[in-house]
Amino acid sequence: MFRLNRFQKVIVWAFLLLLAFVNLYPIGIMILSSFKSTREIFLKPFNLPAVWRWQNYVSAWQRADFATYFKNSILVTAVSIASILLVSSMAAYVIARFDFKFKRSIYLYMLAGLALPTRLAIIPIFLIMRNLHLLDKLSGLVIVYTAGGIAFSVFLLVNFFKKLPHDIEDSAQIDGAGPFRIYWQIDLPLLKPALVTVAMFNFIDVWNDFFFPLILLSSKVKKTIPLGLQAFFGEYTIEWDILFAALNISVLPVLILFLILSKQFIAGMTEGALK
Amino acid sequence: MRKYSFLWMLFPALLLYTVFIAYPFFSSLGLSFFDWPGIGPKKFIGLANYKNILSGFMASEFYRALWHNIVFFIWSLILSVVPGLFFAFLLAADIKGTKWLKIIFFFPNTLAIVVVGFLWGLLLNPQWGLVNQLFRVLGLGFLAKPWLGDTKTALPTIIFVTAWRGLGFYILVYLAAIIGVDREMTEAARIDGATELQIAGRIILPHLYPIIATTAMLKFIWTFNIFDIVYAMEGTQGGPAGSTDVLGTLFYRIAFGGLGSSQVGMGLGATVVTLIFLVVFPVSIFYVFIVERRVERGE
Repeated sequence: MFRLNRFQKVIVWAFLLLLAFVNLYPIGIMILSSFKSTREIFLKPFNLPAVWRWQNYVSAWQRADFATYFKNSILVTAVSIASILLVSSMAAYVIARFDFKFKRSIYLYMLAGLALPTRLAIIPIFLIMRNLHLLDKLSGLVIVYTAGGIAFSVFLLVNFFKKLPHDIEDSAQIDGAGPFRIYWQIDLPLLKPALVTVAMFNFIDVWNDFFFPLILLSSKVKKTIPLGLQAFFGEYTIEWDILFAALNISVLPVLILFLILSKQFIAGMTEGALK
Repeated sequence: MRKYSFLWMLFPALLLYTVFIAYPFFSSLGLSFFDWPGIGPKKFIGLANYKNILSGFMASEFYRALWHNIVFFIWSLILSVVPGLFFAFLLAADIKGTKWLKIIFFFPNTLAIVVVGFLWGLLLNPQWGLVNQLFRVLGLGFLAKPWLGDTKTALPTIIFVTAWRGLGFYILVYLAAIIGVDREMTEAARIDGATELQIAGRIILPHLYPIIATTAMLKFIWTFNIFDIVYAMEGTQGGPAGSTDVLGTLFYRIAFGGLGSSQVGMGLGATVVTLIFLVVFPVSIFYVFIVERRVERGE
């Protein structure tokens, strides 16, 4: 984009690498510390571990009951994202493809959700969940996440639906296919990249959420990873070796997914601001 | 009626959104006129909750938290936009081979805020934390402080940690906007003898104002909802001595308890939320307006 001489290039790269270092250093320390003993973390914080203590991970995994937290987080995230994708893409399809009374008002009404932080509605959400006997249930969380993800997902998907070519649809309509079949069999497969983007955006939000589990869940066996981590940090304040191991365990799934799908992740999370 | 047979496909989204998002917003407003501990009968008390918060026994706590949110917004805006633009321009300057840098810059965004909070909490520990040990090794021992334990440095430290997590998002959003600027315009300027710095500052930068404004609005909305980072690093009290207490933690204590709460109540909590909403609302409306206008133009 810019024409730089060699000296300028060196300066540019020096700054870029400096920021990369600032980003990676704390992460690197987190990883290295998780293999040390607490004593080693305290006394030799900058060194490589003298012995790589994998047992830190075993103790963290067992003591924090991570297996349960993982199961809960995976379940909640998977079902929430599937629901968000289904209901949002159906709604987006209707809004993008059909004309009907009040369509504009309905769309604007849903767009308003883009700017309403769901958290601000937490008291009534809590009360509704209590009335529905969905407090301390994972399904309650799924409902909140699905409802909260709709505005942004519909907004993104409407734009994608509008860009799809109409002609295949028209010929399908002549063949007698109903709206749902056209949506399901023709449009959705074409929308796969957009659905991945929407899924990624919601994944980070749901997987990392701490606030709603904190308010809506209470029993230990229902906790998701961020909430479980919080309980763990409250309990083992001085055993830094397993604290670091626990942090790593909680980060690992996202890290792997991010490295595989970084392009989709970045698209998913920046798209909203750019649109 | 067959003509509208597609409409049912709109209903699940509309229903969920209405019941669990739109209705709660109005319901929250309604609750703010009541005195209600969460169970039993509600007692209508008019504007008493507002009075208690704005000029009564909750006022000092409320204004302190509000002020912290404002400080948080201003500083984290500066710490996002300035380095965000700076590094976006650097990436754009020599774009080849930066794929890995983009991934590295963006990575902290994928971490849960509580994870970031706990990690930095350990790194900033006054005795054993790496940050202070690093200062001592570098001969900057006077900088080795209890960063999170001092009322003067606690809030700036949390703002810094938040900026550390979020910077990559701003860099990549601005980078995409820079790349989107019409090449012909920059080429024409170059032929006219403009230096690279002039092209960046006078030609590209003005094209970024809309996206900078959008990110500033998003930042505003997000900042008035911060909770996790303060909770993870300083607890529900926003310690030390309330120096990091924000509206989010104040609200949490009032509505959902927590030791040392001066008052617990759903009505009072709903009032705090409504006040937060009143602060955020004008910006929110403006944001939706802009988004909607872009949609109308058909991008």
